[in-house]
Order: sequence, then C-alpha cells, then structure tokens
Amino acid sequence: MSVNLQVNIGGLVMKNPVTVGSGTFGYGQEYNNYFDVSQLGAITVKSLSLKPRAGNPPPRLVETPAGMLNAIGLQNVGIDAYLSEKLPWLRKHGCTIIANIYGHTPDEYGQLAERLEREGGADAIEANLSCPNVHNARDAGGCKLVAQSPERVAEYTRIVKSATKLPVFVKLSPNVMDITQPALAAEEAGADAISLINTLIGMGINPETRRSILSNMVGGLSGPAIRPVAVKMVWEAASVVKIPIIGMGGICTAGDAMQFILAGARAVAVGCASFRQPDTALQVVNGLEDYCKRHGVVDINELVGGVLTR
Amino acid sequence: MPHVVDCKITAHQEAGRGHYRMALRAPKIAAEASPGQFCMIEVRPGYHPFLRRPMSIERIFADGISLLYKVEGEGTRLLSTVAVGQSVSVQGPLGKPFPINPAWERPILVAGGIGVAPFPGLAEAIISKTGRAPEVVIAARNDSLILCEKDFKRMGCRVTLATDDGSAGRKGFASEALADLEPGPGAVVYACGPLAMMYAVHEVCVARGVTCYASLEAFMACGDGVCMGCVIEANVEIEAERMVRVCADGPVFDTTIIDWTAQRARTGGRS
Ligand SMILES: Cc1cc2nc3c(=O)[nH]c(=O)nc-3n(C[C@H](O)[C@H](O)[C@H](O)COP(=O)(O)O)c2cc1C
Repeated sequence: MSVNLQVNIGGLVMKNPVTVGSGTFGYGQEYNNYFDVSQLGAITVKSLSLKPRAGNPPPRLVETPAGMLNAIGLQNVGIDAYLSEKLPWLRKHGCTIIANIYGHTPDEYGQLAERLEREGGADAIEANLSCPNVHNARDAGGCKLVAQSPERVAEYTRIVKSATKLPVFVKLSPNVMDITQPALAAEEAGADAISLINTLIGMGINPETRRSILSNMVGGLSGPAIRPVAVKMVWEAASVVKIPIIGMGGICTAGDAMQFILAGARAVAVGCASFRQPDTALQVVNGLEDYCKRHGVVDINELVGGVLTR
Repeated sequence: MPHVVDCKITAHQEAGRGHYRMALRAPKIAAEASPGQFCMIEVRPGYHPFLRRPMSIERIFADGISLLYKVEGEGTRLLSTVAVGQSVSVQGPLGKPFPINPAWERPILVAGGIGVAPFPGLAEAIISKTGRAPEVVIAARNDSLILCEKDFKRMGCRVTLATDDGSAGRKGFASEALADLEPGPGAVVYACGPLAMMYAVHEVCVARGVTCYASLEAFMACGDGVCMGCVIEANVEIEAERMVRVCADGPVFDTTIIDWTAQRARTGGRS
C-alpha cells in the first residue's frame, strides 16, 4: 500500500509533513553528517536577522525535567552570510527551505522577506514574532512579544505579506491568554499558515548562589515537558482558523507528531529532540508512514484534525 | 565525521573517589577520533535526563575508546551505574582536537582534577608523532584525587604533582608547578581543568612567551555546533563573532583568543 505524505502548507509543497524547529537544526548542513537531511519535508533555518547577532551572554541553557530552558538570544550569521555561505549548500542538496526571520521593526521583517525572495533564499518565510530571548527581562517589565498583541501580529503579517509572494508563515507564542486571537489576527492579515508553538517562557534559580541559572534571567522552555500545552494550543487554533498549522513542541516520535496532526496540524516540526538524537525528524517521517499503513490511511491529509471528541 | 552508535561497555570501574573510567567498544568512533575531541553520551534512554552529556575521550584504541569522568550531577551518577556488557548511545567524535607539532620541542600537559581526562590519549599521540614524552603536571585538591599518575609514568613522562593540602607533591597550584618547570622557548603547554586554574596557567604562559592550548568545559545541548548554547566570549573585534562555541569551535582553544575578563567576571574569579 502506498501512502501519500505530501502536504501543501499555504502554497509550500512539502513531500512529507515533517520539518524542524528554527534554531534546533542550524542551517541543515550540520546534521547531514547523520542522515540525508533533504529527505525531510522542509528545513527551517535558524532565525535570520539583517545584521549578524552575537546573542546573549552565557550561561544560555540549562536542562530541565524532560526538556531544556534556553536564552540564546538569536545568535545567527545574518542574512548576508546565510545567502553566500549557507544557502548554496541547501540548494545543492535539494532541500525545501523555510527561512525563519527576525527583525527589530516591521520594516526589517519586510526587508528580510523581500531580500530572501529576490535572492532565491527561501521557499517560504516564517516570521518569528515570538522569541522570548531578545528582550532584557530585567528592564522590559516582563517579556513583550509581538505575538502577544493581535494588532501587532496583524501589522507585521501585512508588512511581510506585502514584501513577498512567497508563502508566509507566522510563528506564534504560547505565552498568551487566548491563542485563538493572534491566530485569527494572522489569518485575517493574510498569513498563509501559522507555526505553533515557540517556547514557553520559564525561569530557573540556583538556590545555592541565589542567581538565575540563565544570564538573561528568563528563557524559553522546550522539549517533551511542553508537548501537552502545544497540542492543546494547536487544537484550539485549528478550531478557529482555516489556514494550515505547523505544530511543534516536544515532538520526539511519530506518535507525538500524530497528536499534533490529529489536533489539527497539517505539518509538524521536530525541535530540540534533534539535540539528543540528530535523526529524530527522519524517524518521525518513517514512523508517520508506518502509522498510515497500520491504520489503512492512504493520504495523511485525511488525518488532519481527526481527533475524536469522545 | 561524527556518528551516533550504540556502544557496548567493555570495562567500567571506579578510578579514584567519585571518578569512573569507562571503556567502550566503538571502532567507528575510534577510527576517526583524535585526542582533545569529545563524545556526547546518552546516560539513559527516555526523556530524563533529556540531553546527552559531553565527555572527553581519554584514550583511543583500535576498537574503541575510554572515558574518564567525575560524578557531578544526576546524569553522571546514572551513567556510573550502567554495568559492563550493557550499551550506551555515543555520539562522536566531536570538536577540534589538540594540535600536535613535531617542531614543538617541549610539550607540557597541565591537568587540574578531572581535567586530566583527555591527557593520557594526548600523551600517547605526542609520543607516537614526535618521539618525545611530554612532561605532565597533575594537580588536585588532595592525593586521593590525583588521577592517571601511573599511566603517564608508564609512558615515560616526567610527572610533577601539586595538591592544595600538600598530601602529594608540591603544596600549591598547577600554575605554580608549571612555573617551577620554567617553560621557555620551544615549550608548548596544554591545559585542562577548572577555569581559574586554566587562567593562571595561561598567565604563566603569556609571561614566558609560551603558546598554551586549553580544553574548555561547558554545559551543552547538541555538542555539534547547532544550538549556540555553549558559547564563551572571545577576544575578537567583530561583535557578531564574539561568541564562540565550545563544542564546535573548541573545546580546544589557543588561550590568547579567550576573553578571560568575561570568564572571570562570571565565576567571580573562582572556578
Ligand atoms: C536552542 C533553541 C533555539 C531556538 N531558536 C529559535 C529561533 O531562532 N527562532 C525561532 O523561531 N524559534 C527558535 N526556537 C524554538 C523552536 O523552534 C521551537 O518552536 C520550540 O523549541 C518548541 O519545540 P521543541 O519543544 O520541539 O523544541 C529555539 C528553540 C531552542 C531549544
């Protein structure tokens, strides 16, 4: 029995529904030592900014129960080095590319998207409106993320949409009262898909030194620990938007990925699980095919949103 | 090129109080490893602990490698309970090795505590590539924590000991023992140990115009240059290149590229 794993995410055709979380897979090449990364539905690259960024001072990460807390602060090579040094490899190896972008202003997002399209740097754009680690938590009065304001989500989405004809995905934050509001705002402003979830903001304190474990005080929690929250947010968002959802948060196995698909995600991303096991995303691809065979499903699209309401 | 392989444990025993040596059957990794590189070890299957633990390769054999580690937290404690005959998943070899150059006439290895871990393999490689046995300084809190002394002596290395309490060798620091050896032109120093010790060794080397390579330790998530979690500050002009990855740009660094002011500020001058 042959199974169709191909999905269409707002105009981006992926040969299977599995990509990787931005920031957890570098620029693709690193993990090609372990498996042929072009077998994935798409490679989502580390957030790109107009200028290279040094990121936050160390310590930047700590392990937590079934997960990790990070405050990398978007250290990245910048758009120029991406286009000249990273992109040629991705293209040569036939990877489908989702370029995740981060800017300080809506205009910077627009410039990044425009440049990526002009220079063939992406097959789709994912606008990261939800990084918790680029604000100094001590003086920002808590973390203010674009993704926490539906109005600003709409504004940023419109600007990116008007800068490019590539499919535009908007990456949202779980750190909100009601995920349906930013999700609807993105859809109404023209987003072609939404990515859910970025990390949950968390904190750890060393009781002996009485200092926060991370130099940035707070960080983003990821890994299996956050998966139930992520599945529930995908399920809620899917109940209100018609555009596709890329689900992520703690996916380690095909069974985990199926939870997101049944909750309403049309594609999934494997995040920090790759740190532990570099070929996790490929195992998820293979496991999804097995799942479909086992359940007599000929097209994975049939399963999207298929959770039974008991 | 690194691999992820399930490796059978062929030996595993205590090597000094709270320290263990583990030998692994790992021909693929051994074939590509060089001294100074490390592996990421899955201490147990499942989601907790979630991340692998980075560990220096102690020695490289034809069909495997050995690791020397100290039990410091839950991960290493769990690893210490895995029995001979069982397997652990090992990712490696990773990182940049120690440079070795036959033109360097006087190699000196300076170890603090568990920092001795990568040196038995380095000493072997220096001997086989240059025909010269390196001098070795081993420093620890007290005599029961001096590791590998016999191994180095067996290789023909001159070994100097230093302990905080004087229970073995010279009472004092590794850097003082190094200064006693009067390294000068032709010497090259390899250092591994607590940050404060490596800084002191670096200062001795700078004062004497000697090149020093230090192997740094950091908490890591991926070990492979992807996550940007294990960075330290480097002495570079370009702001965006200031943060270098211990895993992929190191763990071995020429100590003059490290921004020691930043390292010391973080540890409050302590290790
Ligand atoms: C070390 C690390 C770095 C990350 N960097 C980015 C980033 O640059 N841009 C972004 O949109 N998300 C970033 N994320 C978030 C992930 O892409 C993903 O949304 C999140 O980790 C949840 O998935 P997971 O639990 O499977 O890791 C990062 C996550 C981690 C752990």
